[in-house]
Amino acid sequence: MEPTPWDPEGVTVVLDPNGQLVGTRPTSVDTKQLYKLLVAARCLDLKLSRAGLPMWASAAGEEAALISTALVSEEQDWIYPGFRDVAVALGRGLEVEAIVAGLFSSDELGPGRIASPSHRIAPPTDALGMHLALATGRAHAQKLAEQRGVTFGLFGEGLTTTGAFHESTMLASSLALPMVMVCRSQLWPDGAPAEAGAVGDSVADRAKAAGLWVRRVDGADALGTHAAVEAAADRARQGRGASLVEVVVTQMRRDPPAHRDPVERLRRHLDQTGAWTQTLQDVIEAEVRGSLERAIESVTEPA
Amino acid sequence: MNVLQHLATVLADLLRADDRRVVLGEDVADGTMLGLTRIAADDPELAPRLLATPLCPSVLPAHAAGMAAEGFRPIVICPEASSLVDSLAAVREAAKLGWRHETPAPVVFIAPFGPGFGLGGGGTEGPASILSRVPGLRVVVLSEAAEAGASLRAAVEGWAGDEPTVLLIPRSLALCAAGECVDALARPFATPRRVREGEAATVFTWGAALPLVRAAVERSGQDARIIDVECLAPLDRDTLAAEAKATGKIVIAHEGPRHCGVGSELAALFADDAILTLDAPVLRVTGDDGPLTASAEARALPDLETLTTAITHVATF
Repeated sequence: MEPTPWDPEGVTVVLDPNGQLVGTRPTSVDTKQLYKLLVAARCLDLKLSRAGLPMWASAAGEEAALISTALVSEEQDWIYPGFRDVAVALGRGLEVEAIVAGLFSSDELGPGRIASPSHRIAPPTDALGMHLALATGRAHAQKLAEQRGVTFGLFGEGLTTTGAFHESTMLASSLALPMVMVCRSQLWPDGAPAEAGAVGDSVADRAKAAGLWVRRVDGADALGTHAAVEAAADRARQGRGASLVEVVVTQMRRDPPAHRDPVERLRRHLDQTGAWTQTLQDVIEAEVRGSLERAIESVTEPA
Repeated sequence: MNVLQHLATVLADLLRADDRRVVLGEDVADGTMLGLTRIAADDPELAPRLLATPLCPSVLPAHAAGMAAEGFRPIVICPEASSLVDSLAAVREAAKLGWRHETPAPVVFIAPFGPGFGLGGGGTEGPASILSRVPGLRVVVLSEAAEAGASLRAAVEGWAGDEPTVLLIPRSLALCAAGECVDALARPFATPRRVREGEAATVFTWGAALPLVRAAVERSGQDARIIDVECLAPLDRDTLAAEAKATGKIVIAHEGPRHCGVGSELAALFADDAILTLDAPVLRVTGDDGPLTASAEARALPDLETLTTAITHVATF
């Protein structure tokens, strides 16, 4: 397949647009489980998009970064997500019911946001990018405690123009903290507008100049994304310092070609290996939709 | 030994007593510009817990809160209180962990403020007012040289609670002789305290203005009581209102601008809760509204003459 303007440059590829394995498959990942979670995350996103939550933003197309981060994280690790990163909770093992109850709750965080101390998902901050500074502090403490803990900070490339991002990067880099920054960069086939903050070659290049270990991967390639986040986390666990994984994503609302969809690309892969059937798809979707609908009904309908 | 040197001794003791305590700041490994970590830096047992960071003024309070969330007890040394204003977004997020997420971040910020070093500028901007409006943040002002170390101990040991606490050190106090220091406070921390008994009027004050108020009361010859408010946020409204009602005649004196100074909130508090027992107008004597140049920074303190006149006026009203 010829590269289209929708395909990112300078990325490490494991799954090509047809779902064919062209790189090293990460051995630690259960591909079917990863696929199930991607589908669940997409279903959750579609459902919530229609629920009319205030200030809700869709993350359809960005699931590979969110789910991979959650899957790579270990129990003692912490994840500091941004506003639209609810899928992390699915990957971290929260029940759909608990997620929906949190999202629709009007106390504490406000509707559309989620946090879970028990699953070590930190609450988002109101001040843009400040969750990254809370995360560097957490990572600093983990480093001093010497207990293999890693902190993940999630954000989009728009945040990389803020002072909070730069100062947090400096802390993570100069103190060699066990911190993995996972940045989702949007692809702009027609060139990025000024407000996108997409300056220079890439966020990864900028982070590399700041002293971080970096990888740039394609967010449509769930296996490649998983491998990069895992490598970054392994380095952090070995005491080798902070890193940034730039995941180039395409938002589904922009109607990109099908191979830019991480769910579809992994489906193609599973199909080729004979692991995907329509029945499997139906079962996964029915399961997620069923529990989603019940959960949403129970929080939106008066008792 | 001056107050800063005494605080350095207490800080080293506090680090020795609990190894969850760490000190954050750009120059903490070198003793800091205030000399607060000089003793700890010379102790090989303590030096590893002096965590020098690159300059990152806008996020450091949030970083400290993140460490606190993981079980550490960070003490942040700020070059001046206005640096906390520079990092207001991070301070807000640090304070929010308590009231919004029920996991208070026990971080102590030590920050000099007000006139005293001849710096002007930030010394006269009244950062205490801005910080006092951050929900979930405790703002305490030191006023007694002999109690400075004990107050630091109480703040770090969390006597008043686990909320992040800003300990403001008036610069005019920092270089005073520490005198006969108390080891531990013999009273609750961060609560209003009566420092002089009296029935003719109540003077509310804190920080650098306290010695001026003492002098003004003596000069006026009036039987005025003096209340050191000590904790600017949260305010102990009931105790303050009771002290106002006790005499019905009120003077409020503090350093820094009058406009939106914490004295404005106190005056409004007495109007809300004690108006029917007041027998005289509420008078405020504060620093000049400014802006003040370095050479004029002394005008950030209340004027002794004005203060004496105000106390006499109210007491004899």
